[in-house]
Amino acid sequence: MKSERMKYSTLFCLLMVVVAVFLSSFSPGFYTSALTDAPPIPIYNSIRVFHTEVYEPEFDLKIDSFVIPLKRAGRLFLIEAKVDNEEGNLIFDTGASGLVLNSTYFRNYIKTETKNSSGINGAVGLVEKISVGKLEFAKLSYKNLWADLVSLGHIENRRGVKILGLVGFGMMRNFEIVLDSKNNELKLFRIDKTGKRLNSQSPEFKSDYNQKIEGNGNILFLKGMIGGKMLNFGFDSGAETNAISSFSNKKIMSTITITRRMTLKGAGASGREVLFGRMNDFTIGPRQILNMETIITNLAALSDVYGTHIDGMLGYSFLEHGTICVNFVKKQFGIRFWKGDDK
Amino acid sequence: MKIIVCYMLLFLAFMFGSLSTRAQFDPDKVCRVDNGQLIFTLNLKWTEQEKKEVAELFDLDSALIAQVYNGKLAITIGNENWKVKKLQANWIELSKLVQSKTDKNINFDDLFLVIDDWMNFAGNATEEAVIYGFNNFEISNAFVYSSGTAMFYLPGSNSAHKVYISGTFNNWSTAQTPMKFMGNGWLVDLKLEPGKYAYKFIVDGRWTTDPSNKQREMGDAGSYNSVVYCTNQLFELNGYKNARKVVVTGNFYDWNKRGLAMNQTSTGWSLPLYLRDGTYSYKFLVDNEWLTDPGNPMVRKDASGNENSFLSIGEPYLFRLDGFSTAHKVVLTGSFNGWNETELVMDKTAKGWQLPYVVGAGNYEYKFIADGKWMTDPANPFSTGTGNYENSFIALKANHIFELNANPDARAVIVTGSFNGWNRQEYRMKKEGGKWIFPIYLKPGKYTYKFIVDGNWILDPANKLYEGNEYNTNNSVLWIGPVQ
Repeated sequence: MKSERMKYSTLFCLLMVVVAVFLSSFSPGFYTSALTDAPPIPIYNSIRVFHTEVYEPEFDLKIDSFVIPLKRAGRLFLIEAKVDNEEGNLIFDTGASGLVLNSTYFRNYIKTETKNSSGINGAVGLVEKISVGKLEFAKLSYKNLWADLVSLGHIENRRGVKILGLVGFGMMRNFEIVLDSKNNELKLFRIDKTGKRLNSQSPEFKSDYNQKIEGNGNILFLKGMIGGKMLNFGFDSGAETNAISSFSNKKIMSTITITRRMTLKGAGASGREVLFGRMNDFTIGPRQILNMETIITNLAALSDVYGTHIDGMLGYSFLEHGTICVNFVKKQFGIRFWKGDDK
Repeated sequence: MKIIVCYMLLFLAFMFGSLSTRAQFDPDKVCRVDNGQLIFTLNLKWTEQEKKEVAELFDLDSALIAQVYNGKLAITIGNENWKVKKLQANWIELSKLVQSKTDKNINFDDLFLVIDDWMNFAGNATEEAVIYGFNNFEISNAFVYSSGTAMFYLPGSNSAHKVYISGTFNNWSTAQTPMKFMGNGWLVDLKLEPGKYAYKFIVDGRWTTDPSNKQREMGDAGSYNSVVYCTNQLFELNGYKNARKVVVTGNFYDWNKRGLAMNQTSTGWSLPLYLRDGTYSYKFLVDNEWLTDPGNPMVRKDASGNENSFLSIGEPYLFRLDGFSTAHKVVLTGSFNGWNETELVMDKTAKGWQLPYVVGAGNYEYKFIADGKWMTDPANPFSTGTGNYENSFIALKANHIFELNANPDARAVIVTGSFNGWNRQEYRMKKEGGKWIFPIYLKPGKYTYKFIVDGNWILDPANKLYEGNEYNTNNSVLWIGPVQ
């Protein structure tokens, strides 16, 4: 057990370096001027944490499946939760791997790991990690778990809801996860070792298209096609719109309509460029989805953090087209498109 | 014949030609990204209006546009270098490198607000802005509101394990307000103030609109929510049993003659209504005949001499000005009536002047006008602004008091925050018993704030919640919960 812990600690240390570098690129509190190639626009809530922790929940063994009602704040999906004695909401953010907590409410916890890392690019970043006693949401309860501490105040200010933190697939990968964005439901099904649902009453997910999940991480990468090219997309329920790399090739970019640009003037700075538009020619499996809103940005830093080249991110603009089913044991992603949704 | 065909073809070719040389304007085709370059394709023949539209959509500096149209080929604006390339037929390409550097001082909230705006994120309509409302349930026992208690009833769902109610009254909590199974349906009693509420039931995790409630509106989540009003005014008209139609209308309904339909009862007609705090004039229309409310002695004549019934909702606040016994006329004016200088004439009393006036919860500035002379309220220690711009300040139905139990010797302490656009002068705190205080009305939601003690910005030392800001200092954080 102890060695297991050591192994994880080492893993954390390594990962924290990466996380620190990454976080330092957008969180105002963690900013470092040394990092110049970070994306001009954070995707989209500006915090991404990447590690491969698996959290084991406790739950009522009599239940084979249950539905978590999702609250909505704009295009964010929220899960009502309690962390120790603090009540609020967690953003269901599949772009985050594990548990991330908002420093506003948890800053007084003992920081078990504070890394002052001088990692890639010589950047200096600071990421704090805390241990919380108990996390409860819906019918799940987790005890003594680690969380990264970051500032999420800007999301609260924008959406007017109390955000305790972010929760990604890592917290529920022992279930088959069905995200129904139209009805605002997150359905969790207990599965056996082969990934089959335990509940014989609920048949398996009927999908229009399945794709194999590659890798062992908690972040999902999907293959999609734009302008006849196969591209790698991060699947991110915390992104309120899609994103496409501004450095994609000519053929891809020719299918993207740019409709707005804005330079935001910072205090004493030249301003930051934001490009917004539409993906006109996105295809996943057999289905072409037209007219998805997207931001156009530099995704190099995100690729670095995820350790794989990313051409784009699929966020809410994609999610609203169908119900999604993710099974990490079967290593399968499935989507059932809304009827009458597409041409 | 051949010649005619030739001429026709020539004419058609000319038409096509003139169409294509006409400066086409399609904003969707203006901007593209190619190989790390941000490129704008512009036409030199575009009208001023078209140029302006493109400049606005793509945030192009007016100086840049002017230089482009003056024929410059290399332009530097700020630290960005633009290049102009001439294409054929009046088309040009304006380009620069796609920006990839981060900016330390960017305000994230601004960034997201811009994107929110582009994506047309409309927040929920403020419930407070609603002036009136009434209910429309299919079965009468599905919702009952009396003595401040609202009873919601969901018939059926007998096999459900758990049912919750979630709405604006509990911040859309999915877990705080369970309903009780009563054998043939689910029931909950909630203490609610009069007002408008949006809600849904959650049956075993699934969001469900109230099947008995015909009133729905599109919610933030892209689906319909049920809407209910906790009513505070019962319009009643006895008799007129043979009337075909009785409606009530008034200033709350813009005196629309269609009116709000009243329901026939055993004794006459009635309509329970929610009305926001305020003073209202109204009348009944019985089969299109106007009628003041026979049950209400408060009848006043309007400017055209017509008699209307009057009613007030909410507790009036008594504005008072002591003294000024020799003044001929004192008028109350403020942000609550658009600083109207004639409307609210105060009544003379033995001690001075007074006026009871109903205004809803909120923060208001006001002044008195005594015989034409504007003055702040001498009895009110709270004021905003300075000099001629100093106004008295009052928070009606204040639900929060900012307190600073420190710096008792400071000359001036200001509280400032997201609630007043971080105004540095507006809200001066008052010293009371060694503490600085400022009572305020805040709508439910999140606020960030700071104190300014003799010019120094400080966090609220008594509040453990704070968050980072773009200045790398911090702001105190305050949450105001929904009114229950």
